Amino acid sequence: MQYRRPGLDRLSHALLALCCLLFLLPVWLAFTASTHTLGALYSQTASLWFGEAGWDNYRHLLSGSFGGLGTDVLTLLINSTIMALGIAIGKIAISVLAAYAIVFFRFPFRRLCFWLIFITLMLPVEVRILPTFEVVADLGLLDSYAGLILPLIASATATFLMRQFFLTVPPELVEAARIDGAGPWRFLRDILLPLSKTNLAALFVIMFLYGWNQYLWPLLITNDADYLTIVVSLKRLLTSTDGLVPWQNVTTTAVLAMLPPVAVILLMQRYFVKGLVDSEK
Amino acid sequence: MAPQLGIVLVFFFWPALQAIEQAFYVEDAFGLSREFAGLANFEAVLSDATYYQALGTTLVFSLAVALGAMSIALLLAVMADRVIRGARVYRTLLVWPYAVAPAVAGVLWLFLFDPTLGLISSLLGNVGIDWDHKLNGAQALALVIMASVWKQMSYNFVFFLAALQALPKSLLEAAAIDRAGPWRRFWTIIFPLLSPTSFFLLVMNSVYAFFETFGTIDTVTSGGPGGATTTLVYKVYQDGFVGQDMGSSAAQSVLLMALVGGLTWFQFRYVERKVQY
Amino acid sequence: MATLRLNGIHKRYPNGITALHGIDLSVADGELIVVVGPSGCGKSTLLRTVAGLESISDGELMINEQRVNALEPAERDIAMVFQNYALYPHMSVFDNMAYALKNRGTPKDEIRRRVTDTARLLDLAELLDRRPRHLSGGQRQRVAMGRAIVREPQVFLFDEPLSNLDAKLRVQMRLEIRRLQKRLGITSVYVTHDQVEAMTLADRLVVMNGGHVEQCGTPMMLYAQPATRFVASFLGSPAMNFLPVTAHRDGVVLPNGVEVALPDMLSEGRAATLGIRPEHLVEATSMADAAAVLDVTVEMLEPLGADTLAYTRLPGLEEWLVVRLDGAHAAREGQRLSLAFAVAHCHVFDSQGARVPLAEPETQACQ
Ligand SMILES: Nc1ncnc2c1ncn2[C@@H]1O[C@H](COP(=O)(O)OP(=O)(O)OP(=O)(O)O)[C@@H](O)[C@H]1O
Ligand SMILES: [Mg+2]
Repeated sequence: MQYRRPGLDRLSHALLALCCLLFLLPVWLAFTASTHTLGALYSQTASLWFGEAGWDNYRHLLSGSFGGLGTDVLTLLINSTIMALGIAIGKIAISVLAAYAIVFFRFPFRRLCFWLIFITLMLPVEVRILPTFEVVADLGLLDSYAGLILPLIASATATFLMRQFFLTVPPELVEAARIDGAGPWRFLRDILLPLSKTNLAALFVIMFLYGWNQYLWPLLITNDADYLTIVVSLKRLLTSTDGLVPWQNVTTTAVLAMLPPVAVILLMQRYFVKGLVDSEK
Repeated sequence: MAPQLGIVLVFFFWPALQAIEQAFYVEDAFGLSREFAGLANFEAVLSDATYYQALGTTLVFSLAVALGAMSIALLLAVMADRVIRGARVYRTLLVWPYAVAPAVAGVLWLFLFDPTLGLISSLLGNVGIDWDHKLNGAQALALVIMASVWKQMSYNFVFFLAALQALPKSLLEAAAIDRAGPWRRFWTIIFPLLSPTSFFLLVMNSVYAFFETFGTIDTVTSGGPGGATTTLVYKVYQDGFVGQDMGSSAAQSVLLMALVGGLTWFQFRYVERKVQY
Repeated sequence: MATLRLNGIHKRYPNGITALHGIDLSVADGELIVVVGPSGCGKSTLLRTVAGLESISDGELMINEQRVNALEPAERDIAMVFQNYALYPHMSVFDNMAYALKNRGTPKDEIRRRVTDTARLLDLAELLDRRPRHLSGGQRQRVAMGRAIVREPQVFLFDEPLSNLDAKLRVQMRLEIRRLQKRLGITSVYVTHDQVEAMTLADRLVVMNGGHVEQCGTPMMLYAQPATRFVASFLGSPAMNFLPVTAHRDGVVLPNGVEVALPDMLSEGRAATLGIRPEHLVEATSMADAAAVLDVTVEMLEPLGADTLAYTRLPGLEEWLVVRLDGAHAAREGQRLSLAFAVAHCHVFDSQGARVPLAEPETQACQ
């Protein structure tokens, strides 16, 4: 029933397409640069097309240590994957249990627990980075996967989302399950988790990205290259030499650092959008 | 329940309390002894000109990122919403920068603007603009802002598009019957109806600009040149981990916590109520 | 097969609300008891305490003369049908019906046999693989019934199971529930606020108000001899007419001075209420020994087909007097009518709302 305005529609399409291209530009340039040799890169301004090095940069970086990092990109990718999965799975497991307890059980100090957890919503890691670092150091968790993962699990976002979802489960469903003889664990396993499938998938995407893209925390607590993540390695690459920035290595690593999270978001876009938009409420 | 509480206590409350405690002590250079200093750390921070510079930078930076990312996203979302066919395709084409790490986004833009081989910096050179963010503080700030906007835009786009698609069609039809053109329809109906979403996004964008852009700043400028891109969060890191001044850094953390806590409280108490139509 | 007995059941919610003030009720084996009452009177609470979903604050709940106060819902061997059905949305119809049996460790082939038998009974055999959201309202209702039946429970509990259905389906399902309940002979408690449903389904009817049982007995007995003004007003549509009266030597007198001849039963001068059902007001010419004759003016007519409802006014009274006339009656608005009624159809309630017996009372306790 709205007035259709073909002119306006065409303009919209044109602008949208242009913006899509503009948004793609930095990535495209990085991608083409990653197929050039260092010499070719510095002989001209950045080329919009592929260079003669082909996959050589990738092969080289994935197979051996380079650029003063003391490790290869494959290790970095593995570390990032472990960290991202650890954070995503850990957060989800913990927040499902916490939200389950908060929503479905009455126990002493329930409100207090609720508030303790939800205050953490307010303050991201970045604010309390220094003291958290000391705690982790005191616990001897520097340069370890546990040190990378555990402090970041202590956020309340996922708990909050799960709680919001659990609150929408009709109480009669819980009662029907009780009458049908399902205890608390069985209810969680047979009814609640299957019902939350979409939400869990959405949460997984968001938390995986969150974990993969962490920067400050891993930067602080990893000295040992064996625990370095790929995102953090970029800064070291940029500053590793006093001379020219090794852009062919930097862009190659950047492309590799983008691939997994971008793949996740594109494959699971539906859940991601749902998870994001639902979290607003 | 218990595991979450444990983690929250160990990694959240313990650190927070330690920060508060530490803020009241000075340590010697080797961290061997420390003594109670009362409010001295806070006084030092609050009488330090660089702290106010960082505060100013944070405000400019946050405002620019939030407004930039939101207005572009709103424009694109409105267009994607009206083309009917293809809205989902455009969403796919625009959503992915969200998945790119802030540090990676920084690297991509750093490459575009590299003074020797960057594509855009050389284009700018052709029109007579000398680009060197390593020396020019304003250019450095602009570069960090662009990289941050680029990444954050997709987040806002997803929300605006969802909000637009959820608007009651009957309202727009009623407006069309009342002979309101697209422009009037947008400002008198759509925009006011989007205010809760916009407010929510304003909050989320500020949080993003405050904290998550750390990676962008660190890779692109490391807070320089001359502190031109040092935000409050970056300063906590710099003073504490690079400068090893734990007392000052802790005092800054506490101030930051208070600031964020106060803002959150303010949002919930005043602003959110007003935006509900 | 089971009996159910409630002895002085009290329910206080943690927030201080007392929803049940001592309910006594006993349900015989295979009996269908319907509990009716206005919204908030505690019907659901009563059902939920029986189910074990709410704890009992005081009193005793016996199933088969065994005290079950402390048992979990699943251990009480009851089944419940909820108003919104509460089907598990992610399970097929088959799995919904089988879930309780699985949880009890019933062998697989026995589960299959019982579910398919029940499905056949309820006309669900074609739908066993579907998810609840792909079913119509009536089909969902039947699945909810099936989930209860397949367990072969001691007691069935229904909480307004039909109120989410449209009027036509409701009538159809009402008949079906009645048929199934009789056929399976399972002791049942059925909660509704629809009085037609209540009257048609019940072996015995329990009328609740404010956490108390007002009266219980067969539907016809409650209709003919309501024990309180509340029960009288609650059952019957349109509701009973109530007129304020004062006790008199030979009966009662209306505010406009009309005397109604009734057996002596109240001390003179006391205020009371006289109740007459719309269908018991007839034209004076067709009645010989009327208790009184009322001259009224018709103000409004509502033709229903078989009957016509006349809303009339008695000079000197504020209340409407509703009369059920024959559908063929040629009444017009503004017309004057002379209405009469028999002593046998008079209900008198004292100022507390309790029935004042005119003849020897037949009483029937809930126990
Ligand atoms: N969980 C609860 N906590 C506190 N009070 C409750 C709770 N459930 C019900 N009540 C109160 O108990 C009283 C009886 O409620 P109940 O749900 O049993 O009424 P009902 O007769 O089923 O009404 P309806 O016809 O509306 O379903 C009401 O005053 C209600 O507010
Ligand atoms: Mg109820």
